[in-house]
Amino acid sequence: MGQEYIWDLFVGALAIGCVYSLVALGFAMIIRATGIIHFAQGEVMMLGSMSALSALWLLPKLPPGIVMLVGMVASAIVSVAMELFVYRTLRLRRIPIMNVITATVGMSIVCINAAQIIWGSEPLRYPELFGSGTYGFGGVRISPQLVWIMGMGFVIMGVLQLFLKHTRLGLALQAVAQDPDAAQLMGANLTRMMLVTFAITGLMAGAAGVMLGSLFFSFFQMGFITGLKGFIAATLGGLGSLGGAMLGGIVFGLIETFTAVYISSAYKDGIGMVLLILILLVSPTGLMGLWKKSK
Amino acid sequence: MEKEQVNAVPALSTPWTTRERVAALGFAAILLAVPLFETRQFVLHMFSLVAINSIVALGLQLLFGFSGQLSLGQAAFYGIGAYTSGLLTTKLGFPFPVAIVASGVAASFVSLLMVPITRLSGVYLAVSTLGFSILVYLVLKNEEWLTGGTFGFIGIPRVSLFGYVLRNPAYSYLLCVCLALAVYLGLAQLERSRFGRAVNAVRQNEDAARASGLPVTLLKSQCFVIAAFVAGIAGSLFAHQVRYLAPDDFTFWKSIEFLFMVVIGGVGSLFGAVLGTAFVVLLPEALRGIGQYRMLVFGALIVIVMLFGAGGLVGFLRSVGAALRGLITRNTKARSGATLPRAAPHE
Repeated sequence: MGQEYIWDLFVGALAIGCVYSLVALGFAMIIRATGIIHFAQGEVMMLGSMSALSALWLLPKLPPGIVMLVGMVASAIVSVAMELFVYRTLRLRRIPIMNVITATVGMSIVCINAAQIIWGSEPLRYPELFGSGTYGFGGVRISPQLVWIMGMGFVIMGVLQLFLKHTRLGLALQAVAQDPDAAQLMGANLTRMMLVTFAITGLMAGAAGVMLGSLFFSFFQMGFITGLKGFIAATLGGLGSLGGAMLGGIVFGLIETFTAVYISSAYKDGIGMVLLILILLVSPTGLMGLWKKSK
Repeated sequence: MEKEQVNAVPALSTPWTTRERVAALGFAAILLAVPLFETRQFVLHMFSLVAINSIVALGLQLLFGFSGQLSLGQAAFYGIGAYTSGLLTTKLGFPFPVAIVASGVAASFVSLLMVPITRLSGVYLAVSTLGFSILVYLVLKNEEWLTGGTFGFIGIPRVSLFGYVLRNPAYSYLLCVCLALAVYLGLAQLERSRFGRAVNAVRQNEDAARASGLPVTLLKSQCFVIAAFVAGIAGSLFAHQVRYLAPDDFTFWKSIEFLFMVVIGGVGSLFGAVLGTAFVVLLPEALRGIGQYRMLVFGALIVIVMLFGAGGLVGFLRSVGAALRGLITRNTKARSGATLPRAAPHE
């Protein structure tokens, strides 16, 4: 186990962590804007992944950027459709939040089974999107897949931050998340902002789906466990905190990868859970709470 | 003077009205009479599973519906109960009555370890219980020497009571129903007791409850442990009903199913938990005719039921009942010439 191997693992952990972060960001943004735990987030991701793969089957020569874009747009469409046709209806009828959350699980069942009918039950192999071979960094060889995924993950999260901090729409989104009533009085259209939230989280989930697909496989159940991990990552970070969600995802990726290698691969999810429970016990609002406390 | 106010809280439980008694007896009689009319083994087996699952759902109703604590980990306690009972009867040769009690005790003992997390609220509690559920699943799957791992745990004997083996599915159905009824009545009594009122207060406003001197943390942990206990008992029944345990019966997904049962039936209603269980357990079977679209329709139906609001199926039935009553009274009033306005149905 040389240093090279550790670096390889580290980049791999960051890449998978980026996938979790993107899903976790979706959870965090939706919970901030609507209070809903959106359990179908993983399925939104899966549908994006599948759609991007279908686009590749039709046009095998598509550049990776476009494939990614196809996945993102497909997920965003699914996400927006859910909000428009299901969650908005429920919200307008003033259905309690717990029922809306249960409905999101219902949507997730619908998506999983629709995907199974459309794409079948077999894991589908993704072609190597970002070229094969290795990149060398000062003597350390790393798969370009991982580097690209990590890079894209960070770029997307950076763009999101810029969007939220420096555009009118982004600021309005933040305002709605902080105080819906005041934001509405200031002229923000709540209903539209929710739609925008679902569109953005869909875009991010789609990107995560294409990344995860190109790392492993794409199949109809991929969303469930990834969605769960994204949700746990979002909670680990402190629900509703965007920085926390990103941090939570990456920390979760690191814990998972290094546990699998150094402690036990059978319990790689288990150690993460124990840490999660311990962290929540020490700081009931997650990592962000811990961070603020230590400052 | 302050002391007087404390004593003014009635310590007695709310009495049952005659109507409630009749309804409960009728309900129990119908359930117990089912084997007289239904002799198909598979159907009875499914009904037994409804009874078993409803025990867990009833416990979750206490935890979530009454005390407001969202748990996504009931499958863990269910699994602990099932495997405890399996181990005790096959490897150590204990009789079933001992095993079922031990299962409940084992599950509640494990839940005691988890009690510190009841100080977490809302989603954080849900996530920790979820994490715990995943952890228990991993143990069941990986500790092959104890649980048989992914190959499963086989050779669990049928239930035998006082030397008599329940071979007839009708008898095992009756056993499951009787235990489910006992849990139902026990929890209904608990709901009406001083404890139930205190728990209700905690759910509605934790700070106010604490300010009025209620031991909030203790009450919440008690609910947590009781829910785990009944889940353990249900697990034991399940083990002897299907006589084969695999870790996949106790995944996180199972916990979600239990939550479905409670929310679909109607949050806060014990009867709702039973109705919801019947919905979740029987509907996928009933939909077998449509083949691969079965779960698609099931998911869509869940979303549709959510439109009924927090009342779930029970609320829906109630509003249908109220509408019918309204129709009848309006007709009689129209005949008698009364022009009193109808009371608005409350939401």
